[in-house]
Amino acid sequence: MILVVDALNKHLHSDILDEMFRLRARVFGDRLGWDVQIENGREIDAFDYLDPAYVIGLDESDRVVACVRALQTTGPHMLADVFSDILQGQAPLRSATIWESTRFCVDTDALEMSGRGVGTVSRATCELMVGSLEYARASGIEDIITVIDPVMNRVLKRSDNAPYDYVGATVQMGKTKALAALLDCSEERIARVRAFAGIEGDVFLDEQALAKRRAGRVKAALDCGTMPAGVAQYLIEQIDAAMSVTEISAALSLAEDLLGPVAVPAVKSLAKG
Amino acid sequence: MKPLDLGCISEGSDVALPQILDGICADFGLDYAAYAGVNTIDNSIHGVVNYPDAWKEHYVEHGFQAIDPTLIMASRSVGVVDWTRLQETEGFHTVFRDAADFGIGTKGLTIPVRGPYGDRGMFSVVRECSEGEWSSLRREIISGLQTQATLFHDRLMRHGRTMAAMRQPALSEREKEILQWIAAGKSQPDIGVILTISTRTVEVHLRSVREKLGALTTPQAVARAIGMGLIYPI
Repeated sequence: MILVVDALNKHLHSDILDEMFRLRARVFGDRLGWDVQIENGREIDAFDYLDPAYVIGLDESDRVVACVRALQTTGPHMLADVFSDILQGQAPLRSATIWESTRFCVDTDALEMSGRGVGTVSRATCELMVGSLEYARASGIEDIITVIDPVMNRVLKRSDNAPYDYVGATVQMGKTKALAALLDCSEERIARVRAFAGIEGDVFLDEQALAKRRAGRVKAALDCGTMPAGVAQYLIEQIDAAMSVTEISAALSLAEDLLGPVAVPAVKSLAKG
Repeated sequence: MKPLDLGCISEGSDVALPQILDGICADFGLDYAAYAGVNTIDNSIHGVVNYPDAWKEHYVEHGFQAIDPTLIMASRSVGVVDWTRLQETEGFHTVFRDAADFGIGTKGLTIPVRGPYGDRGMFSVVRECSEGEWSSLRREIISGLQTQATLFHDRLMRHGRTMAAMRQPALSEREKEILQWIAAGKSQPDIGVILTISTRTVEVHLRSVREKLGALTTPQAVARAIGMGLIYPI
């Protein structure tokens, strides 16, 4: 399922964002060999401090399996400031209805393949494509310019999501090449990717339900009894008494801070890669 | 940061701005619109609204600009913020409980705008209607409203000579080439054939050109580009 995290709800999902930055480090730093800065096993750049929107794919256990980042082309964005080689010194496109998408990645280790025929594309990849196109479309965005490598370009073509054009040139970037592709956010394109991957219904997850599942995991960890019974009891009461997503999140963060990494076994097992 | 005074128009800006908001409201079927933005270079703050005077006075008197989540929170988003997303926040109830007394509803959205120098703005609109009406209106107007919001922001950020100079539009060779063909009377599909690019690529570049030149229509963009010497008159 897809979760959109931006400046308005990031305080509720700091654990998910942290996992996402670690996924990006594994994919862009380790696997693809892009020229990115990695600190403490997390890939974070200057644009992550500009309140971007992240479209994040989670598996059934709410672990991060895919992510992509969106920024407006009217403000600071990567093609204007970092990937200017791709544009060969030309001015970038600027429009209120064009977003830039960067850092599209999928945790290939954690996925089973789906789709059809030779050279299949994982469901998580397609779900992230659908989620990001739908999120953009709901915001009135008509086109996305996306900075990708040739592998991702082939993935887009194979999943019936081929770019309608490219801007600038393909240039060397670390061990791989980078290029800028254009995708429309039309209903037709979304329908094609959905049909390709057999995705039906709403791909966006319910934040309330996500908070409840997280509460279940934390309460199970509190029950294990590594903590004085009185404290555990107090924390469980706090979680149960929380009404809104914000309150649940605050109660859970407190419990998780006291529990340490035990509360989130899913994250621990992923960190090995 | 100085508090936003939405009750008055910033110094040096156009007095006709609230009328522009009236025009946008009429075009898009909305009750009221408000714009607030911060120019990070000259630190000027701009606010324009076409809300009833009584509500503007009440709003400023109660210091709502300090707690109104449709201003503070929404400006940091990337996507449009429908106010349903803010209803859980404390400030929302305080502001909109009073707003109801002035006939202002809670069906609204805020469009965050970002400019190239870290300048940010927010353009919000409101309409009193049913849930169903609101969601279909929203879908229908959202793209056009995004464009209007950015044009409005850019217009305010360009005020003053330094700002205008810094915001000289930079068109790419491709954008100039396409606009030159438009000036020569070619249609978008024709230009696609001439340049061996898709029609949508032509369209997307023209959208960018209009934005950069602050033009609402392509003919207006052609006129401005000729006036600025970016393309040749034919």
